[in-house]
Amino acid sequence: MSAERTDVSTTLVVNGRPVTRSAGGHVTLLRWLRDEADVLDPKYGCGEGVCGACTVLVDGEPASACIVLAAQCEGSAITTAAGLLDDDGEPSPLQRAFHQHHAAQCGFCTPGMLMCAQAMLADGTTRSRDEIREELHGNLCRCTGYQHIVDAIEDAQGAAR
Amino acid sequence: MSDEIRTSKLDELRVVHQPLARHDAAEKIAGSTRFAGDLAYAGMLHARLVRSVVPSARLTRRDVTRAALVPGVVAVLLGEDVPHNEISVDVPGQTIAVGALKARMQILATERVRFHGEPIALVIAEHEDALAEACEAVEVEYDELPVISEPADALAEDAFKIHEGGNLLAEWRIDRGDVDAAFASADVVIEGAYTTQFVDHAYLEPEAGVGWYDDDGVMNLRVATQVVEHYRDVAKILGVPDSKVRVIAPYVGGGFGGKEDMTVEPYLALAVAHTRRPVRMQWTRNESLLARAKRHRNHMTYRTAATNDGTILAQDIEIVSDAGAYAYLSALVLLYSSVHACGPYRLDHARIRATTAYTNNPPTSAFRGFGGMQVVLGYESQIDELARRLRLDPGEVRKRNALRRGDRLPVGQEIITEVQLAETIDAVRERAGEKPAPSGPRKAVGRAIASNMQSYGRLVWLNDSAAAWIGFQMDGSLTVRCGVPDIGGGQASSLAQIASEILAVDMDRITVHFGDSALNPLAGTTTATRQLLMSGNATYEAAVMLRDQLLGAVAASTRDPVESLAMTPEGIAGPGGITAVTAALQICRRGNVPVEALGTFFGPKGKEVTRDLDGERLFPDFTFGTHLADVEVDLDTGEVKVLRYLAAHDVGRAINPLSVEGQIAGAAVQGIGQALLEEIVMQDGVNLTGGFFQYLIPTAMDVPDIEAIVLESGEGLGPFGARGIGEPPIGPPLAAISSAIADAVGARPTTLPITPERVLECVERGARSTP
Amino acid sequence: MFVKPFGYVRAASLAEAADGLREAGGGARVLAGGQSLLPMMNLGLLDLDAVIDVSHVDEARGVIEDEGYLRIGALTRHREVHADPLVTSRQPLLASAAGRVGSSRIRARGTLGGSLAHSDPAAELPLAMIALGATYEVTDGAATRTVRADEFHVSYFTTDLAADELLAEVRVPTLGPGWGWGFQEVSRRPGDFAIVAAAALVRLADGEIVESRLALGGVSERPLRLGAVESSVTGARATQLEERIGPIEGLDPVTDTSATAGHRRHLARVLSVRALSDACRRAQEAA
Repeated sequence: MSAERTDVSTTLVVNGRPVTRSAGGHVTLLRWLRDEADVLDPKYGCGEGVCGACTVLVDGEPASACIVLAAQCEGSAITTAAGLLDDDGEPSPLQRAFHQHHAAQCGFCTPGMLMCAQAMLADGTTRSRDEIREELHGNLCRCTGYQHIVDAIEDAQGAAR
Repeated sequence: MSDEIRTSKLDELRVVHQPLARHDAAEKIAGSTRFAGDLAYAGMLHARLVRSVVPSARLTRRDVTRAALVPGVVAVLLGEDVPHNEISVDVPGQTIAVGALKARMQILATERVRFHGEPIALVIAEHEDALAEACEAVEVEYDELPVISEPADALAEDAFKIHEGGNLLAEWRIDRGDVDAAFASADVVIEGAYTTQFVDHAYLEPEAGVGWYDDDGVMNLRVATQVVEHYRDVAKILGVPDSKVRVIAPYVGGGFGGKEDMTVEPYLALAVAHTRRPVRMQWTRNESLLARAKRHRNHMTYRTAATNDGTILAQDIEIVSDAGAYAYLSALVLLYSSVHACGPYRLDHARIRATTAYTNNPPTSAFRGFGGMQVVLGYESQIDELARRLRLDPGEVRKRNALRRGDRLPVGQEIITEVQLAETIDAVRERAGEKPAPSGPRKAVGRAIASNMQSYGRLVWLNDSAAAWIGFQMDGSLTVRCGVPDIGGGQASSLAQIASEILAVDMDRITVHFGDSALNPLAGTTTATRQLLMSGNATYEAAVMLRDQLLGAVAASTRDPVESLAMTPEGIAGPGGITAVTAALQICRRGNVPVEALGTFFGPKGKEVTRDLDGERLFPDFTFGTHLADVEVDLDTGEVKVLRYLAAHDVGRAINPLSVEGQIAGAAVQGIGQALLEEIVMQDGVNLTGGFFQYLIPTAMDVPDIEAIVLESGEGLGPFGARGIGEPPIGPPLAAISSAIADAVGARPTTLPITPERVLECVERGARSTP
Repeated sequence: MFVKPFGYVRAASLAEAADGLREAGGGARVLAGGQSLLPMMNLGLLDLDAVIDVSHVDEARGVIEDEGYLRIGALTRHREVHADPLVTSRQPLLASAAGRVGSSRIRARGTLGGSLAHSDPAAELPLAMIALGATYEVTDGAATRTVRADEFHVSYFTTDLAADELLAEVRVPTLGPGWGWGFQEVSRRPGDFAIVAAAALVRLADGEIVESRLALGGVSERPLRLGAVESSVTGARATQLEERIGPIEGLDPVTDTSATAGHRRHLARVLSVRALSDACRRAQEAA
C-alpha cells in the first residue's frame, strides 16, 4: 500500500470562531492553522515538540501544534496568542505584563510563551519564580535569558489573584 | 565626526535613558508581527533544497528526471541553471602564499561537495506536500573523497586538498616588544590549552522568506536577514543590475550572526526568476542545524609571563580555528580573535599566531562575539590561574593589569575612551556578597569572575557608513526611514527614542520604517554591535539637522535668536512663547525650508590590514565588563548548577535600560549555554546534531536570573555617549563558569562544553592534586 | 514540515484500530498522543503509509484497582497517571516517573501505552514498568494476550507487538506495606530523555533491606532489572549501600551526543545507590 493522502474535513473552534477546512489527514495542527485557517501566530520552530514556539491551547490544555494532527483535534477549541486579546483587540493582563516587562525581544517565541503562561494562570496556582521556570522549561527562548518572561508571569499571576 | 564623544547629561534627557516598553512589542505580544515565513501570496510556490548526505565527495550523477515527474513539481534546478553559480568573498590582508585572495563557493554544487548538508538541487512545487517526495526522487551519486575533520590535519603537508588553492585560508600575526626576553625575566609562567566547540545560533525562527517580482520587474525578497545589502549578491547571481533586486527585512526572529551571511536568498531568487511566480522557502530546524554556518571551533594555546606581584609581562598565543568547508567570514572572525586575544589588559610584549584552515565540517562564520569571545576562555583562564598560582586576589590581579585610556593594545590600537573595568569588577563583587555554602554532602560550590573587552562597530578600514532619513508629517508626527534590520534587539525602537529625544515628538507619534534596501537609506548590517553606533548616530545627525532647520525657520519668522529656541513636547519654546510644531512646519513651507533631513554617519577610518598586524587602529572602540558566577557541582554525577550569575558592563549611556538589561541577560545565557550545554557534534564530517532534541540550548531551568549591573561612564562613540552592548556580554560566561568549576573542584576545565563527564575528570584531577 | 503525505484512519475502538493495522499490512502505526510518533515523522526518521488514530477511542482510559493490581488503560495520559489518586497512593514510583516525562505539553497529550509501545530504552515509563514487574494486555481486536514488561521491551524502539496488535492495558502490582521507592535520573537538561535513570523499590525490616527491586534505563537496548545488585544489597542498611554496590555488570551502554558509554556506566552505579537510598528513606518514613 502506498502513502495515500486522505482528505479530512475538520472543524475547530479557533479563538472562538468555528472554522471548517478540508485538508490532508497528515496535516499537523500547526500547518492547518497557518496554511488553511490563516492563523499565523503559532510559529514553526523545530517540528519536534521541543521548542514550544507552536504552543496553543487545545480545549484549555497546552499542546505543541507541530506534533498533533489537526484531525486529532476534531471539534476542539483552539486558543492562540491572538485569542487572548479581548473583543476590542485590547491585550489581556498577561499580554500587557509581557509588554511592560520587556518579555519579548525578537518576539518569535512569544506566542508560544504566552500560551504556556496562560495555562499556568488558568489553574489558579500562584507559583514561585522557580516554579514558573519549571513550567516554562518546554518553551525555548534564545533572546531574553527568560527572566523578563518570568517577571511578566509573576506580575500577571499577582494581578489575576 | 566619527570619533566625537556625544556625552549626554542625565538630567537633560527626556526620553533617552528611560526604561520604555518597546514600540514593536505591542504587535509581538498580540501575535500579529508578520515574520519572514508568515507572508503568503495567492498562487505562491514552495521551494526546498536537496542537500548532500555525505561530507566530501565528487558528484558523479545528478538526475532530476524522476523528481520532475512528481505531481505538483514545477521545476527542479541544478547548478547549471544558475546564471552565476559561483560567488566569492574577499580574504583580506593575505598574500598568495598563505591562502587564496578570493574564496569561492557555489550556490548549488555541481562537481564536488565539501560538507554534510551542502545544497545540490532546488525543488520548486505547487504545494509543500510534493517537496518531500520530490527531494527524495532527485538522484545523486557520490564518489566519496577523504574527509578532513581537524584543521591540524588539513594543514599537514600531504593533506588532501579541500580547495584547489590548499587548505590554509588565512593567517594573522601580531608581534609587540620582545616576548622571549620577557619570558626569560618572568617570575612565573602560566601555560594552558583551550578548545571551544562548534556552536549553533539556534534562534527560534529558522531561515525563511518569500520572494516575488513586482510590477517593475524588480525581484523582491522578504527574508529573515541581518543584511539587506545582500541584494547586491543576489543581483550578481542572477546577472541583473543591483537596482533590480530589493531585499526587505521584516522583524527577524533572532539573528546573533546566523542571518548575516545569505541563507534562503539566492534560492528564493532563483526560484522566482525561473518560475516568475511568488515563492516561499522555509528551512526546517534540521536544515538550519546541518547547513547554516556555525561558530568557529578554536584551539588556543596560551603562555603568560608575569611578575610575582601579578603584573603581566608578556603573552605568547597560538590560535587555530576551524573554517569549515567554505570561507565565509572566517578570516575576519580570526582577525577579531587575534586582536582581542590578550583581553582588557596592558602588556608590552605579545606574540600572536593565528591560523584558520578548511575542513569538511560545516562552514563557520559570524556569531555574536565574532571571534572576540572564544579568546575570553583563553585569557581569563590564564589570569585566573595566575592569581591562584600567586595566591593573589583574582579581582586585584585584573585591576592591576587593566587597560586605561591612552594605553595601546598589542596590535597597536590606542584606547580613546574611558575604561571602567575596575568598576565592573567591584560592582559584581559587592553585589554578590558571600559565596554560598553547598546544599549537601558530595556537592561543592565555586565562585569566579571573568572580565572582557569586545569591539563595537566594524573594522575601520571597511569605511563603514549608515544613513537615516527623518521627516515631519504636517500633523507634527514623525517618520524615520532607515535600512537597519531589526533582529529583536530593539534596533528600530531605539532610533525612535533618539529621534524623540531630539525632536521632542512622543514615541507613539513616531513610525520607523526599517529593513528595506530599496525604499530606505542604507544603514548597513545589523552585526558587529554596530547599529547603535552607526544608524543611531545617523539618526542623531538627521534629527539634529531637522531640529536646526525648524528652529532656524522659526527664528527667522519670529526674529528671535536661534539659540533662544528649543524643541519641547509642547512645541518650539522661545522668548515669545510656544510655537506649535504644526505652525513651525507651515513656516518652513512658506520659507522653502525642508521638513525632512538625511543624516549620514561615517565611521572612523583606518588603513587596510595586512597579515602582519602592526600599529593599526582596527576598531572604533570597545565595551568592557565583568561577570561573576556561583556554581554548585555534584561531585558524583558531574552536574553543574549555576546558582547565581551577575554581569556588569559599562555601556556608556543606556539608551533604553530595559533593552540593555535584555541584551546582557540574553547574551549571558547564550554564553552559559556554550559553556555547559551546546555543541554541534561532528563525526568524520557527519553532523550528529540534527534536531533540537540533540542541540541543547538552555531552558528556563538551566539558568538563574542574570543580575545585570549597568554602569554608565558617559563615554562611548554612539549617540549620547552610548557604547554597543549586543555582543560584549556573551564572552565572559565561558571563563566565569569554567573558573568557578575550577574553584569548586580544584582543577580547570579547558574544553567546551563542560559536560558532566568533563566535570568529573576535573573532580578526579582536583582530588589528585589536593593533598 | 515537508512530511510525505500519509493516510489517516480514525478508529472508534481498539478492535477497529487492529483492523486498520491489518489492512495496512505493516505500513501503519497507531497514533495515540503522537508525542513520539509525529516528531519522528517530522524528522524523517519514520516513513509510514498511514496512521491509525485512536485519540477518539473511549475505552482503555483511566485507572482502577483490582485484586492486587492497578489496571491502567493504555490511552491514559501521562498527566492523568501522574495525578491519579490510586497511582499516587498505591504506586507512587509510577506517579513520579509519569511526572518526569518531557514537558507539560507532552504529559497533557502523551499516553502511557504510546510511550511503552515506543520503547525508548532511556524513557521513564518502560523503566518503571520493568522495575515494578508490570504486565501488559495486548489485543489484536479479537484475542487478548498478556506479556510481561521485561519480555515486551525487546530492544531499541522494538517491542513484542505483532503488526496488528496494540496495547490495551497495563497491570501494575500494588505493593504491600513497608515498601519504599526511589527514582533518580540524570539528563543534560530538565525534561530531556535520561542519560541514565534508576528505579528502585525496597522493603525493610529493622532498618535492613529484606527485599529489593532495581532497574536501570539508558544503559542497554532496553531497561534492565539488576538481580545481582538486588542480591548484593540484601541485609544492607541505607548507609551501607555505597560499599555494597560495586561496578555494575551486564550493561551495554552506547556513546551518543548526550554521553559516552563510560559515563553511562559510571552513572549507573551512582544512580543505583541514590535510588536505593531514597527507597530506604521512604520505607523508613512509611514505617
